[in-house]
Amino acid sequence: MSALVRALRAERIKLRHTLAAWMVPLAPGVILLLSLVQLGFAHVPPPGPTDPMEAWKHFCQGMFTLWLFLMLPLFITLQAALLAGLEHGHHQWKHLLALPVPRRTHFMAKLCMLMAMVAASTLLLAVATPLVGWVIMQLNPAQGLTGSPPWAWLVSRALASIVAAGALMALQGWVALRWQSFTVAVSVGTAGMVSGFLIGQSDRLGHWFPWSMPVQVFLRDGVHLWFVLVAGLVAGVAIAGFALWDCSRREYD
Amino acid sequence: MLAIQTRGLTRRFDGRHGVTDLALEVPAGSVYGFLGPNGAGKTTTIRLLLALLREEAGEIRLFGEPLSWTRRAPLSEVGSMVETPSLYPHLSGRDNLEVTRLLLDGETASIDEALALVGLTADAERRVREYSLGMRQRLGIALALMRRPRLLVLDEPTNGLDPAGIVELRALLLRLAGERGITIFLSSHLLSEVEQIASHVGVLHQGQLLFQGTQESLRRRHGDPLAIRCGDARAVCDSLAHLGEQPQLLDEGTVSVPAPRRADHEINRCLIERGHAIHAFGRRPHSLETLFFELTGQEART
Repeated sequence: MSALVRALRAERIKLRHTLAAWMVPLAPGVILLLSLVQLGFAHVPPPGPTDPMEAWKHFCQGMFTLWLFLMLPLFITLQAALLAGLEHGHHQWKHLLALPVPRRTHFMAKLCMLMAMVAASTLLLAVATPLVGWVIMQLNPAQGLTGSPPWAWLVSRALASIVAAGALMALQGWVALRWQSFTVAVSVGTAGMVSGFLIGQSDRLGHWFPWSMPVQVFLRDGVHLWFVLVAGLVAGVAIAGFALWDCSRREYD
Repeated sequence: MLAIQTRGLTRRFDGRHGVTDLALEVPAGSVYGFLGPNGAGKTTTIRLLLALLREEAGEIRLFGEPLSWTRRAPLSEVGSMVETPSLYPHLSGRDNLEVTRLLLDGETASIDEALALVGLTADAERRVREYSLGMRQRLGIALALMRRPRLLVLDEPTNGLDPAGIVELRALLLRLAGERGITIFLSSHLLSEVEQIASHVGVLHQGQLLFQGTQESLRRRHGDPLAIRCGDARAVCDSLAHLGEQPQLLDEGTVSVPAPRRADHEINRCLIERGHAIHAFGRRPHSLETLFFELTGQEART
């Protein structure tokens, strides 16, 4: 078994009974609940497409825009800080880095775990969105959610948004691992999230900013889809590579 | 065979001492007490020995194998605990060991073995946050034992322990050294503890090694003081001074002569001839504490 696989299995154990593990279902759960309350019990249906497939896409888009604009950047910020905090908080580095395991393995495992958690939450949202849509259909038929949901479209877009979040995950992962203070990671994440909310609405700049790249997958009919996919992947790999180099050469307390 | 050997090992920090030109020699199978006042460079040395810090100059060898920031293979022979044990309090004792076992690609049996060795088998499933300080310390040592090391490096392992915990830890370390032949390199502030457990000592002060060797050699080097219990200690002091000695009045009934110039029997004879009542006369071995303060030029804060 490779060192990385073993480190990932160790990470999974470390996550037992942690807030970070609970946040994987809770974060998309909040978005689903909000949508359920808003659309399931709304007396006046919002103006939307009359075509059932378009109505489904409109519904899924609304759900994912909320997720990718606001919740995902916050989720990545907190998860990165919590994952790194497991080691910073109890001075674990002096134990881990004194093991005969390549230093970068520990940091790579952290970044991989962050990506896995983001992927799990996003895919959970993708799977649960049509289910919530079905509940809304029963509670409030006026929303126009009839027929079968666009599963392939939804899952492919959800996967694309995960790739587009590559740069953001690598960046927040690096900040959280590099600085021991929880405040630094949360400050960077919050500043990025607020800026991303404003910049993300710009057609000209939105697809350039790591915090607003993922949402571009669903905005403006995905006009920047390929750009954010490539940029998220390339920048993500580049930043992750830099993060591994930087963290591995540091002397931790 | 040396378990640890350093030559010219140097690491400095801005504005504070690190270590300079350190030449440690820790024989395999020994219990080596690494002593020094706060800020002497003990933790820096330990971090260098575990490749947690980059060496500025010099070399480190563990069991003859060179170790450096970039060459860490010899660490597979080393178990360590630096300052407080590195534990995940939300996990059980067993899960904490499982994390390290996975990273080391060790056998599952090594967990039960380590738990048994430190006497934590019954508490293995409890979360670490429920453990007492002594139990945490023992679990920290269990973590260090997971890779079945030939060398155990412990930085202040008795920190925060109550007397019972200290006795428990001492017994454990002596067992590891005696039964398993593990070389133990430990730093401690508790000189009396080191005195009871260590075969060898190294004294570090302001980043430099002032002494290293067996406890006996340290005592031999300094010579045991002559202790005289008598009826009138002040009068005995005067007599000794008259004989050209440099006596110290310890209390109203005891005089010490740290480095007598004359033979003991000659001093004894002179004192008796001068009519002093001598109740006890003999060499009193130095405590490690006294030797430590002599070496470092410090005085105990009373």
